[in-house]
Amino acid sequence: MFSKLTQFAGHLDQAMVSGFDSDHFDLLALELFRLQWELNPAWQKLCRSRGVHPQSVSNWREIPCVPTAVFKLMDFSCLPEQGHCRVFHSSGTTGQTPGRHRHSSQSLALYEQSAWLWFKHNWGDVQDMIVLLPPPSLAPHSSLAHMIETIRCRENRTSDCFKGRVDGAGVWRVDWEPVIEELQQAAARGKPLDLFGTAFLYVHLLDELEARKLSLKLPAGSKAMETGGYKNRSREMPKAELHAWMGRRLGLLPGQIICEYGMSELSSQAYGRNGDSLKKADRLLRLPPWARVRVVSPENGEEVAPGETGLIQIFDLANAFSVMAIQTEDLGVWQDLDSCGLCGFELLGRSAKAEPRGCSLMTP
Amino acid sequence: MNLPDFFIADLPADAIVTPGLITSACEALKRNRKQHLKSRTTREIIHLLCEVGKEWRSPANPFRCHALRLDPEMTGFSRPILERGLEDFFAGFTSENWSALIARQLGGAGCLDAFTNQASNHTASPASVGPGRSQILALGPELMVHFAAGNLPIPAFMGICLGLILRSAQFIKCSSKASVLPRLFAHSIHALDPKIGSCIEIAAWPGGDAALETPLLDEADCVTMTGSDEAVNSIRMRMPAQARFLAHGHRVGFGYISREMLGAGSVNEMVSRVADDVTAWDQNGCLSPQVVYVEERGEVESDQFAGRVAMELGRRETLEPRGPISPEEAAAIVSRRAIAEALALHRADVKIWSSPKSTAWTVVFEHDVRYQGCPLNRFLLIKPVSGLEDVFRGMDGVRRHISSVGIGASPTQSADLALALARWGVPRICPIGRMQKPPLDWHQDGRPTLADMVSWSGFEAE
Repeated sequence: MFSKLTQFAGHLDQAMVSGFDSDHFDLLALELFRLQWELNPAWQKLCRSRGVHPQSVSNWREIPCVPTAVFKLMDFSCLPEQGHCRVFHSSGTTGQTPGRHRHSSQSLALYEQSAWLWFKHNWGDVQDMIVLLPPPSLAPHSSLAHMIETIRCRENRTSDCFKGRVDGAGVWRVDWEPVIEELQQAAARGKPLDLFGTAFLYVHLLDELEARKLSLKLPAGSKAMETGGYKNRSREMPKAELHAWMGRRLGLLPGQIICEYGMSELSSQAYGRNGDSLKKADRLLRLPPWARVRVVSPENGEEVAPGETGLIQIFDLANAFSVMAIQTEDLGVWQDLDSCGLCGFELLGRSAKAEPRGCSLMTP
Repeated sequence: MNLPDFFIADLPADAIVTPGLITSACEALKRNRKQHLKSRTTREIIHLLCEVGKEWRSPANPFRCHALRLDPEMTGFSRPILERGLEDFFAGFTSENWSALIARQLGGAGCLDAFTNQASNHTASPASVGPGRSQILALGPELMVHFAAGNLPIPAFMGICLGLILRSAQFIKCSSKASVLPRLFAHSIHALDPKIGSCIEIAAWPGGDAALETPLLDEADCVTMTGSDEAVNSIRMRMPAQARFLAHGHRVGFGYISREMLGAGSVNEMVSRVADDVTAWDQNGCLSPQVVYVEERGEVESDQFAGRVAMELGRRETLEPRGPISPEEAAAIVSRRAIAEALALHRADVKIWSSPKSTAWTVVFEHDVRYQGCPLNRFLLIKPVSGLEDVFRGMDGVRRHISSVGIGASPTQSADLALALARWGVPRICPIGRMQKPPLDWHQDGRPTLADMVSWSGFEAE
């Protein structure tokens, strides 16, 4: 059975490169569900408890999702117990048990292929890279650092583009002085660059620029990837506000900021651009054709209508060696823009941001 | 029912609240207080409060009818839950209860009206006070500002009542979508006594608006607030030095059922009472239980007890449905259920019961005694314990945040449990089933509410 999974992954890899045919998604999803059902005992148990069997599922929408919260409790992998070379951890608040996603060299290769191809599709040419994250050698459990490392390797850039480090408490830090100098030099030279970072690292960078009363004008053609949440590592702000601030301090126009949505439990990512001036279609987060999204009502699990809020579920074929159906803890709005034949989702953020309605201590 | 425009919150939705409007409202409140409220006697105020309570319990009262007809999307609660909550609250509005509150916290019902000897609780004649003793008079703040939290109306109602007892003008700032019940309450006072009604202002805006809140805080002599620690700190930092700030952060309640109550004769009563407490205000009040600890080895075992509570919550859902909740709240329940469901698949000591195809109610039975938060909205954790020591260990992380403990035990055992709980730091202990029905004179967060609000004036006679 495992060899069949390996075969599946090989075919998927080829299909990704040669142009994945969306019409095949359903068939492949059902095939993968059958294989993972056999090889992933934890998932099989969960499916059985919901009364779902491979025979009872007729399309990808009916495949039961594993909530990301459960990755903290058990292993959802098709790999043999010792058969991994890398484990990605979910980033959570310090002290919490992280969710774990194990990868073998083959599953990592599929992850890299998926990440790279969809990144390239959305990003285009890569300029000089400045990465505000620590390199994978310092953050071996970060899927984000690994993803950027994949881009770096495939683009033949030197590893000194990673500017982050990890302090004794495991917190990501950046020595801002040399980074700001490098940004200033790039601005002076007029050579476009590509900036990569999480929302909380951008808040720190912008704070540093503000403290120095610096407003840079990054050269035309520069881009910034903004991803991830805050995890209590800086003050939080709405996305639009952060992007407007990036515009003021870094000279980036709305179309130059590209949002990435990914997580350690997945092998594919979604991309979108932010900015009120952009067309709605450009602002939606979209997954590669080998992954699909559903937005479901947290109240009853039913798919929500376009424009309504719900929990984001992702069905990712590139998660061939773990579990292909994931229910995130993020709320989003499903958008089906018929006029342009596009659909995708808007991210509203973590569901844990529930506003208490009374005076009882609420801790989701 | 069309409410007249007495309060800022009565203005049309598109009306803009400005800092100038806040300042002039505060000035008007102080003026009206001087004219209409300051010289009222305690007896008159208690009479008014009792009338208000009577009106709200009367099925024909237009304000009550209006409140109960409101869309649950507006109030946050289903009609039966709102009705029960209002009924329980106003049932305590008796002259004896109000007098007892004042006597207990200030030393005597007359101390707000004239100089008294605190010890005797009677108005003092100068002759009865010897040298070295003074007579004292309790004075309420000129202007009180209440920051009311979320949908739960009771803290705002209670704040207004306490303010009236102290003859204070009051400005109640509600959260932007939850002003309707405080508004109706203030209108009901206005209807009985328009002059006193003119000493109350109700307004609503999204919290944290410094442009509106700074002028309001500048006018206040005493500010009360119920809210998250974050919201409380944000106001605390902006408080002017001369004003008093009484904040109540978010709190945790829990239940404790002794094994002697798990026999055939009493277990059904216990199940019903736990359901009463969990469904009251849909578990959103600071006195609501989030966890119920159940002693092991009762006639009915703790996991069976949990199953019975789940069945009862299912039954209550058909009679007193939970109110609508936000996608964020529902998602928090989904996430916690997912963890419990996954654990239950692999471990025999974790069990979960939940409403099918909705998040209406959830019971999780687990042996881990540690408190690990609760997404509320009828999500109850039931944990077996061998005794109170397990409870103290489990709740240690939130010891300073405990509001109330509801106990199910015999009278003798209750007294022992209460003493141990009090010494551990619990400010209120009550029978299970009455957690959301505190008496008027309860010490919120262990503090005497009225006593914290007043100032004293002393008179030393010749």
